[in-house]
Amino acid sequence: MLQLVFLIPLIAGGVVYFLPAKKGRLILLGTAAIHVMITALEWFKVIGPLQTKYFSATPEGMLVLAIMSFLFLFISIYTIFYMGEVEMEKEPVFNSSMLLFLSAMSMVAIADHIIMLWVAVEATTLMSAPLIFVHRSKESLEATWKYVLICSVGIALALLGCFFVIFSMEMSDIHVPISFSALTTVAAELNPVWLKAGFIFIVIGYGTKMGLAPMHTWLPDAHSEAPSPASALLSGALLNCAFLGVYRCHQLMYAAGLGDYSSNVLIAFGLASMLVSAVFILNQTDYKRMLAYSSVENMGIIAFGTGIGGIAVFGAMLHMIHHSLVKSSLFLSAGNILLGYGTKIIDKTGGMLRLLPKTGITFFAGFAGISGFPPFGLFISELLIILGAIKAGRYVAISIFIFCLILIFAGAARLVMQMVLKDRDDVEIQVPEKWMRALPPLILLLTSLALVIWLPDSLYQTIQNAISSVGGTVNG
Amino acid sequence: MIHISNILLALILLSVLLSLRSNRLMALVKLMAFQGIVVSAVPLFLETEHGLTFNLFMFFLLLILVKGLVIPGLMYIAVKRVVASREIEPIIGYHASLFAGLIMIVFSVYVTNHLHLAMLPVGHKLLLVTAITTMGAGFVLLMARRKAITQVIGYLMMENGIYLIGTALAKQVHTQYVVEFAVLLDLLVGVLVMGIVLNDINHTFDDVDTALLGQLKD
Repeated sequence: MLQLVFLIPLIAGGVVYFLPAKKGRLILLGTAAIHVMITALEWFKVIGPLQTKYFSATPEGMLVLAIMSFLFLFISIYTIFYMGEVEMEKEPVFNSSMLLFLSAMSMVAIADHIIMLWVAVEATTLMSAPLIFVHRSKESLEATWKYVLICSVGIALALLGCFFVIFSMEMSDIHVPISFSALTTVAAELNPVWLKAGFIFIVIGYGTKMGLAPMHTWLPDAHSEAPSPASALLSGALLNCAFLGVYRCHQLMYAAGLGDYSSNVLIAFGLASMLVSAVFILNQTDYKRMLAYSSVENMGIIAFGTGIGGIAVFGAMLHMIHHSLVKSSLFLSAGNILLGYGTKIIDKTGGMLRLLPKTGITFFAGFAGISGFPPFGLFISELLIILGAIKAGRYVAISIFIFCLILIFAGAARLVMQMVLKDRDDVEIQVPEKWMRALPPLILLLTSLALVIWLPDSLYQTIQNAISSVGGTVNG
Repeated sequence: MIHISNILLALILLSVLLSLRSNRLMALVKLMAFQGIVVSAVPLFLETEHGLTFNLFMFFLLLILVKGLVIPGLMYIAVKRVVASREIEPIIGYHASLFAGLIMIVFSVYVTNHLHLAMLPVGHKLLLVTAITTMGAGFVLLMARRKAITQVIGYLMMENGIYLIGTALAKQVHTQYVVEFAVLLDLLVGVLVMGIVLNDINHTFDDVDTALLGQLKD
């Protein structure tokens, strides 16, 4: 039963709210394990959906769900040990919101009805808001306010876009259920003008949530102010969910024969995001903000790759998987750094290899991964996207793409080198690092590494099924 | 012949213009309650193809309850709690906002006339004009005011506008109660979350002025 993936976390989240923090942590971990199990059963098609009117298991949805489920398991292990170190006044609220957030995201992954997808995306905003302002500092309040307001308004525009898409159907006098699967079958008959208008609004709406420039302004604030496990979840899982909304619409556009139009829109937004993050990453003083801007960049890369088409879509999907793994790992490492140094300012950290050796290694390796160095997966995905773009003859776009990559690498490398390598003896470590907090980021990194060496057949098949609907291929 | 729906739409436009002019938070909340009720009542008075079923009627009753009573009620509590009751120094002045509202009406008429929506039923054209104006005015409130409460009201007004556009364009949505109910629930929880954050902002800063929220930037 497919719906269990969001029902179980929903119920667990409700229960945890009323339980003491210690028991809540156990339930958090238990639910994460159950969620992985259900996802696995669903992945291997042991169980099917209960009813197909609002939900269905699509390959791209299953991909997002699998990433999310895997990440959540390790993030919840980390959370348990992280919570042991920090004094959090309202920990039950935090744990409960984590589970409700997982529930909302799972719902996004399996939603098929257009409006149901919208409802689920909006629910992710609302359920994750408490995660950001759990500290109740002035900064976190500001971040939450911006997050809730900007995303709600953005997503309201996506609702408008959904209405336009539905109207494009009624305009041509067709009557099918308003789900993506049903609409795709009649896509060619939909009114193209209204479909285009709908797509623009949906990209603006879900793009706000995804962190595409120029609607990304909430993202650095929210990611830097949220507690690190929540940042990891926001960056690794939530952004993919928003991308899924955009991707579904892109599929619809492609089926309607308007693929060129939607591709160009995605490429434009993708390049804009990369340019913006390249500019802002250069002079960052806060390492969590630096990671947040890197997420903006990587979401831009994914949108760009999807827009290019062909083998680049395969690259974009791989990029999504590896970015989630590596970026979550980086945010978890950032949590260890924050615990160790007690500050988010880059200048006040340093000498991590001596002071926090385990975290230093995971952070540095993560940075190498996110910059697209082999042997990590982002190297392959970026290479595929570049190859795809050259094959498609988009020379100007790919020049900007590569230019941004270099700029971002140069900007971030300076900061990371300073944090990891530049030794200093005037800082004291407040909370010493522990294996249990260093392991989850390490495992996530190793998973990314493993997926480069061996991509399981079923994963390969799923990606292939997911990208064939937008004209993507796996072999040039 | 004047339809009841046309009177309702005129009332919505009136509430939009009044809210652009108003500087008291309490008056704004009352206007929102009024607008919420009228907006939810509009579909009832449009000539529906399927007629009015019991389910439909119950749904609209729920809609009026939530949009006209529960959400404004939450806003009412929020206004009661905050220190400031007036909007001071808006980013765009009241007269300018009102003028913007009037221009928006003209603009919506222009847009609606140029969409070539021959297939829409007669009453729906005016509905679309009202809807676009409401949405735009909500956006103005969101951008041009500094109090967090006014911004929430702007968001609600925008949502009202989008709901009306949905009513005018997408008929099929309004026959699927599960979906519509879920949208309504999202709106309600959204206002609740915003209310909680608002309360904390008021508690921490002793004001709900968003100009105070300027610490995070690059």
